[in-house]
Amino acid sequence: MKLFGKEVNKDTLKDTDWKKVASDFWYGKPHEERRLGDLYIGNTGLYKHREWRGVKDTMYYFNNIWLYNYGHMITDIMKYGNMVDFIKGTMRYRWMGQTYLTVMHWFDRGLEGLRGEALAASAWHYRGMVSETIRQFQRMFAADKKLHGGKENELWKNSIAHNETVSGVIFFPFRDQMDDVALEMIPYFVTCHVNNHTVLNYIDAAQSIGLPADPCPMCQAEYGIFVLDDYPDYAPTMITSNEACDGSVATSVLQDWFLNRPLYAMPQPMRYDDPLVQKHCAEEIEGAWKFIEDQYGYKFNWEKYKELAEKHNKLTEFEYEKWDVAANTPYYPINGVAQALYRIYYSQDGWRPIWEEVDGHVKKILDRCVGKKIETFPKTRHRAIAWSCAPLYYSNWCTWAYNCWGINTVINMDSLMFDQLLRTDTYEHALEDLTWYNEKAPMRAMAVGGHEHIFQLWQYMERFNCDMVIMYDQLACKGMQGIHGMFEDEFRARDIHAIWVPHALPDKRVVPRAEIRKIISDYMTTVMHEEPLDPTLVDFDDSESW
Amino acid sequence: MKKAILKSIFKVIGKIFGIFALVYGALFAVFFFDLDGKFLYYVWEPMMVKRYDKMERTDMTQTPYGAKEPVS
Repeated sequence: MKLFGKEVNKDTLKDTDWKKVASDFWYGKPHEERRLGDLYIGNTGLYKHREWRGVKDTMYYFNNIWLYNYGHMITDIMKYGNMVDFIKGTMRYRWMGQTYLTVMHWFDRGLEGLRGEALAASAWHYRGMVSETIRQFQRMFAADKKLHGGKENELWKNSIAHNETVSGVIFFPFRDQMDDVALEMIPYFVTCHVNNHTVLNYIDAAQSIGLPADPCPMCQAEYGIFVLDDYPDYAPTMITSNEACDGSVATSVLQDWFLNRPLYAMPQPMRYDDPLVQKHCAEEIEGAWKFIEDQYGYKFNWEKYKELAEKHNKLTEFEYEKWDVAANTPYYPINGVAQALYRIYYSQDGWRPIWEEVDGHVKKILDRCVGKKIETFPKTRHRAIAWSCAPLYYSNWCTWAYNCWGINTVINMDSLMFDQLLRTDTYEHALEDLTWYNEKAPMRAMAVGGHEHIFQLWQYMERFNCDMVIMYDQLACKGMQGIHGMFEDEFRARDIHAIWVPHALPDKRVVPRAEIRKIISDYMTTVMHEEPLDPTLVDFDDSESW
Repeated sequence: MKKAILKSIFKVIGKIFGIFALVYGALFAVFFFDLDGKFLYYVWEPMMVKRYDKMERTDMTQTPYGAKEPVS
């Protein structure tokens, strides 16, 4: 007879260890017996069925993650706007309708194999990112001229667009009068993680009008959205940046052309810790504030800045607490992908209520793990630090690496950005710290900010007790490619296990995910002489998955 | 009389509980067998891709250069 598609005969039933079956059902299978790779359907990344994690964790995933997040997505849509604008936006924008509805699979990929506290804490990070994403696109849609017959409504008049690499912290003094929404964060950056199919259209669109194919594909995608007329028109002005590189400068130039409206370019200095550039950087920030005052007639509100900067400092202080637990104990309950994406998202975005709420939930879990000494990643063989910029289409590779090889990515470069508290005692101190904050933006500090910052890797390796480096190799990043050989020399000289992971940021066609896995697996077998924890994850096809 | 009222109250509660259990069970089946993912992958995404591919779009390269006032 057949049971769940498998041939079962009398002998099989007789030989079955029913005690073990009951234990697997109740507690979930031990790590080495899970065979997670068998759950996938062909190359789609879909599951024949979602993983059975034991009764407690499966029901937690079903109730507190799957149902909870689907439910809260609906309430967030209503809370931050209305259903009509949401539907209009879904029908109008490819990055919305094709991408964001598949969001629960983003959870699935990132949280695969997790149990207990690690599952709960990591899922809270995803919840925060989803909620803030909904808030931002609902604000865009509510103000969007394209969705409202070309009408410039009050929300449009009270919004400012900015590059995703300009931190929301810059706008704190005006948040009681207007709202700042990063232009590419939602239509581009977050989409690559949730559903990497969408972004390819924008990269191709950029090249279709004769723009070169060799700059960073992040910049190509950012202006490709404009080439395809797929940007929401939600603000009368924009503030752009040169962060991280010359490719971003080109993005600003093209956006200036396509948007055809007042635009303020706020560059961040390359050699940012040169004392001579601090004054210049401060003047650029003050210039941005003057631009807002001139364009909108709003006044710089020092009290509002103080209030939000102090709230933002609380987020940073909790981040330091998280780093401390991650560095010095095996009780840290957040996996590599949740840690990286959440940190980069909230520190770029600036304080919002959802970040404070999520940190409150995570703090309880973190305290419980430390208090009860719960080993959250018990199969850890190697504590890894991931350096340089991650492949956006495969940021969850670290979930795979832990499940397959026991490589636990404890910390990553993107998490270490914006390492700056903001003083609020005087205007001068506030501006000085804001200048530093702005200069410690993603990629600027440790990717193209000079070799002394890029080589801070060695200090962080020691601080976080890591024995392995996952060295991202962004093939189109001229800054990091230039320093490749120096890293090779240093790894050899210091006798460090480093695995180079080539990728092209958002473009999965250049280095497919399967190739990234192969490179890591080859290193683990040929250099480390280790056996996989889950052999079904060594080689599988997910070329068409989200 | 009281017994009949109590019986009908229990019946209503039972029905509500039954409907809740049915909906909960159905949702669990959707979750466990990844039916949401399968619907979005095989039905929703191809349908939306067709829509976006066909959509008429403004030719952005026709935007005139320097049409706005310079910003100080």
